[in-house]
Amino acid sequence: MNARESIIGAIRDAKPATVARPDVRTAVGRFPQRTNVIETFAESVALSGARVIEGKRSQLAELLAAAYPARGRRVSVVEAVEVDDGVSPHSFADTDVFICEATLGVAENRAAWLPLSRLRHRSAVFLATNVIIVVDRARIVADLHEAYATLDVAIDGFGVFVAGPSKTADIEQSLVIGAHGPTSLTIVLVDGAA
Amino acid sequence: MTPSRGLPVIEPVVDHAAAAARFNANPDRVTWHDAALWFVREKRDQAVTEVAEWEELRGLASSIKEHTLSRLDEYLLMFESAATTNGAVVHWARDAEEHNRIVYGILESHGVSRLVKSKSMLTEECGLNPYLEARGIAVVDTDLGERIVQMRREHPSHIVMPAIHLKKEEIAETFAAQLGTEPGVSDPITLVAAARGHLRERFLDAQAALTGVNFAIAETGGVVVCTNEGNADLGVALAPIHIASMGIEKMIPGTAELAVFLRLLARSGTGQRITVYTTHVHRPRAGQELHIVLVDNGRTTQLGRDGFWRSLKCIRCGACMNTCPVYRRSGGHSYGSTVPGPIGSVLTPGIDLEKYASLPFASTLCGSCTAVCPVKIDLDAQLYRWRQIAVDAGYVSGKKRGAAVVAAKILARPRLFALIGRATRVALRILPRSLVAAVAAPWSRDRDVPSPASQTFRAWYKANRASRRAGKRQ
Repeated sequence: MNARESIIGAIRDAKPATVARPDVRTAVGRFPQRTNVIETFAESVALSGARVIEGKRSQLAELLAAAYPARGRRVSVVEAVEVDDGVSPHSFADTDVFICEATLGVAENRAAWLPLSRLRHRSAVFLATNVIIVVDRARIVADLHEAYATLDVAIDGFGVFVAGPSKTADIEQSLVIGAHGPTSLTIVLVDGAA
Repeated sequence: MTPSRGLPVIEPVVDHAAAAARFNANPDRVTWHDAALWFVREKRDQAVTEVAEWEELRGLASSIKEHTLSRLDEYLLMFESAATTNGAVVHWARDAEEHNRIVYGILESHGVSRLVKSKSMLTEECGLNPYLEARGIAVVDTDLGERIVQMRREHPSHIVMPAIHLKKEEIAETFAAQLGTEPGVSDPITLVAAARGHLRERFLDAQAALTGVNFAIAETGGVVVCTNEGNADLGVALAPIHIASMGIEKMIPGTAELAVFLRLLARSGTGQRITVYTTHVHRPRAGQELHIVLVDNGRTTQLGRDGFWRSLKCIRCGACMNTCPVYRRSGGHSYGSTVPGPIGSVLTPGIDLEKYASLPFASTLCGSCTAVCPVKIDLDAQLYRWRQIAVDAGYVSGKKRGAAVVAAKILARPRLFALIGRATRVALRILPRSLVAAVAAPWSRDRDVPSPASQTFRAWYKANRASRRAGKRQ
């Protein structure tokens, strides 16, 4: 008997009587409704050690240029809607500023959803020293239940919630911003009109 | 299942009390350790109060896990099928040895000699690092806390904060010796910057990346990894091979369920609303290989134990350790187990009861672990169950056994109980305190023996309640 058959067989012998699958959607529908989702999102971002810049989408180019003026290599995929996995991931190692746009933001925990089609490549958002994520005010949802109800997590093969600059508290519980990934994160919150 | 990095370590039978006594030899350190963990527990409380529906979330999470475990065979096969369709290679491992052999086989067939790892308690449990190192593969743990203990050739003392037992001056010494930082500089910002530079080179240079898995989604065939440092992501985004190792209990049905667990995990563990990175991997990058290793290593045995299968609901947040008065004052290493604290003390005796029989006794049964557990594992009840099994199996010291036998005899005989109570009260009144303390040692080492009450409960009951009840009956 191979390992697969052996483990599946052991589970069939051992498993407890069937417990019904809870109806998660109905249960979370009874949770208290969240209001002021945009304000909650912005406040929560600030608490994560990230910076919030608010403005209009029509001024986006200026907002992005002003976020990290006069820096090293900038990589912007803010227009990205497709995956380009073919580029060497190591080629982004010297990225100073990486700019992308989230497809949604989550008010309760400031997470911004970045599917691969919005990142174009997997590595730059983790390798860059500084990251800018554009979040459309109209795309902010209350909580993770609402987020996952609208997401197809498998569609691009890769996606990540980002909720702040990389950080660690592994040395005596002292919070240090900038662990292995970006040392700073800026969320640019824009309204929907182009 | 003893993990080892070629360390001197671990006595054949773990004696938690003796190991805790060694940790307690330095009272200042105990106080400091206790406070560090309690700080995290308080952050957890703060985060929990923000969520009005917290108790409903815990209830949901518990029943989702119970449901999934009750149909684990079906969900694993569903996951395998979806993951394979996505382009992953799914492997099955009955035990630690088979897991290590599979991982080494993948690495060997690609000529890999440099592996970066993100945090994975499963690979600690399997002893993967020494297995690979003995076969010529350089393994670098990339979670900062894990890297620190790896450099010091120690084990993690906590599943979320592996280096919580170390002071920054000790870490500074290690870094000065191995990373060339300035001796005596122990400021965390400087130390983290040094580790960042050191590990960035390893990430860029790695030929393969191994990650743990926080959740595996059966319906979509994807794995979810949660980190704050971005270390798992740098490994996976750069290396041409990604190996994800997971215990079979990490399975959940779908993404509606994932939302429930992600809301609970970081809040319970560190008091964060969510970890900085929550990464969902469904397909490898172009040209990359994705291997997922599903590991049993005793989990199906635990699944078959009536009183213990619910311990497999655990999502490894660490909240039960942070709140445990015994863990906080004995340190993670005193458990001699990959997973320490209350959850470790119900999981690990299931692997080897003789070796770990002392762990269920490393508890006051106060129930604080059960109160904070985000998936409502009845930890204190399971600890109590293991105690009974350990006693029946004869793994408990004669002294403890003898005391229990004597107590049972006395408590079963009301007259004898009253007589001994009377004698004890007299003795407490007339004997010198120093003698009383000596008799009560070691209990009395940090406590005063109380003075006897002027009236016993029995006497009070007889005077007040017994006559009233008798009156009612008439």
